[in-house]
Amino acid sequence: MSPSRMTTQHVAAGMVCGMQTTTHPPAVALNGLTKRYGARAAVDNLSIEIPPGVVAGFVGPNGAGKTTTMAMLLGLVRATEGTGTVLGAPLEDPASYLGRVGALIEAPAFYPGLTGTQNLAVLATVGGHDVAQIPDLLELVGLTERADDRFRQYSFGMKQRLGIAGALLGDPRLLILDEPINGLDPAGVHEMRGLIGRLAGGGRTVLISSHLLTELEQVCDWLIVIDGGRLAFQGPAAELADRAGTRLVVAPEHPRDVDRLAALLVAAGHENQAVDGHLAIAVNGTEPRELAAAVNRTASAGGIVLAELHTAHISLEDRYLTMVNGEDR
Amino acid sequence: MIQMFKAELLKLRRPRVALAGVASSLAFAAIATVTVFLSATDGSGPPPARGATIESLGQAGGATDAFVVGVSFIGILMLVLFIANVASEFSQGTFRTLLMRQPRRVGMLAGKMAALLLVAAGWLALTEIVTVVASTLIAPAQDVSTASWFGLDGLGEAASDYATALFGVTAWASLGMALAVFVRSIPLALGIGIVWSGPLEHLLADAWTTASQWFPGLLLEALAAGGTAEVSSTRALTLVALYVAGAAGAAALVFARRDITA
Repeated sequence: MSPSRMTTQHVAAGMVCGMQTTTHPPAVALNGLTKRYGARAAVDNLSIEIPPGVVAGFVGPNGAGKTTTMAMLLGLVRATEGTGTVLGAPLEDPASYLGRVGALIEAPAFYPGLTGTQNLAVLATVGGHDVAQIPDLLELVGLTERADDRFRQYSFGMKQRLGIAGALLGDPRLLILDEPINGLDPAGVHEMRGLIGRLAGGGRTVLISSHLLTELEQVCDWLIVIDGGRLAFQGPAAELADRAGTRLVVAPEHPRDVDRLAALLVAAGHENQAVDGHLAIAVNGTEPRELAAAVNRTASAGGIVLAELHTAHISLEDRYLTMVNGEDR
Repeated sequence: MIQMFKAELLKLRRPRVALAGVASSLAFAAIATVTVFLSATDGSGPPPARGATIESLGQAGGATDAFVVGVSFIGILMLVLFIANVASEFSQGTFRTLLMRQPRRVGMLAGKMAALLLVAAGWLALTEIVTVVASTLIAPAQDVSTASWFGLDGLGEAASDYATALFGVTAWASLGMALAVFVRSIPLALGIGIVWSGPLEHLLADAWTTASQWFPGLLLEALAAGGTAEVSSTRALTLVALYVAGAAGAAALVFARRDITA
């Protein structure tokens, strides 16, 4: 299938959520994957499963272990412990699956003195792919007019796009992109998001990493959050979004009353979470005004004067930051 | 291995690279020929340490004497070129890009070396041919007879000189590749390679005369000279072959097992 045809089909298919295709083996399944450098664990007992056909966001702060995990998936880095499969093939045998995987990891690395076309030809030859697809791939990433310029003459955004074209050689079933948006200007970010959207679907699984959830939440239907090499969350993006939303923030006049107020609220059926001397109560389908009145009555009945009672919107990003800052494990 | 071999050739068959190769071959052959013929003595004085006499140039191997003398100086150049080529794959991150497409690392390294050595072999062949042509042109002006050059003996000498030169280039290339794989940094690998095979081996040999029988750079010099009083060409050939096998094996092992993080 030519890349241009492929693209048309993918656009028509849209972002197919992987949960519809779970009869197939997971695109990626990792079980207790660990990578240690001396005493430090870059990836620590990571077990994840990515359904086939999803656009999976791999999110975590800088140094969380995202790139190391991807490098282990690609056979660049050897795992210290753990097992896994990629497209159904064992992780220990990258040669058995890398022909079906395309990747752009860290900064795009090509030969500076070769043109875009020549660089892709080298890559296609090494991978045993047909070089005839190169013009279509360059068109897909919008580099046709600069195809014969040397790589060293490309802007950063163009280098990223050439990296994606390289990753698409051989029409891979799994596409792994490591921070593809990092370092791009706003126009480049917009362009890249559009490109990633076009690459998804049609049964292809896309795994994209970023240290910013906001970069991915628009394109991902599956999320994996890691921090300190450990899994913090995995599941449908909608599930994480459900945990976000509006909350009622409550604070007693005297900080010593926080724990007692929390207990009173739980007894009254209002599950809450203590954050920085405040209590946060999720507004799940309740009218915020009614909930605020109920909380106020409960506090008052317990002899506690409230100093704060207001609503606050918890964005997906806030939810993610709370998670990786260790307040929500 | 074959895929990497083809890919490396794709990089090397660009017009710029070909032009640079041909130009350097022509320049190298011209300089070597002119230097050897103009410095050739008439045999009345002491024999030159390197170079030739008018009499030796008129013998069967005279057509390639300039080639033999010239290539004895290119060992360090080959070391530098192979270090730069292999180490730059690490520093540019291109090994990472390639390995995501082809994870069989030993085959990748072997394919790359085979392609580079094929080009080096072509460059040596061109240089030898140009040297023979240049020698033929310059010989009459220096009263050197070319009568014995183009017989079977002359062709045999030319083939033998080519084989020795190619072996020497392969050895320097293997040592350079291994150093690049171990160190992964162009400046560091170049520094170690040049300092060791240049001044350090000779300084050590001054202090420890047996060094010339063991150190790879000195053995390669002895091999290029067709053997010396201290080291026979057979010993040099055998030990250099062992060095090459050891370097290639160690480089393959390290490259296969090391994490690619750059």
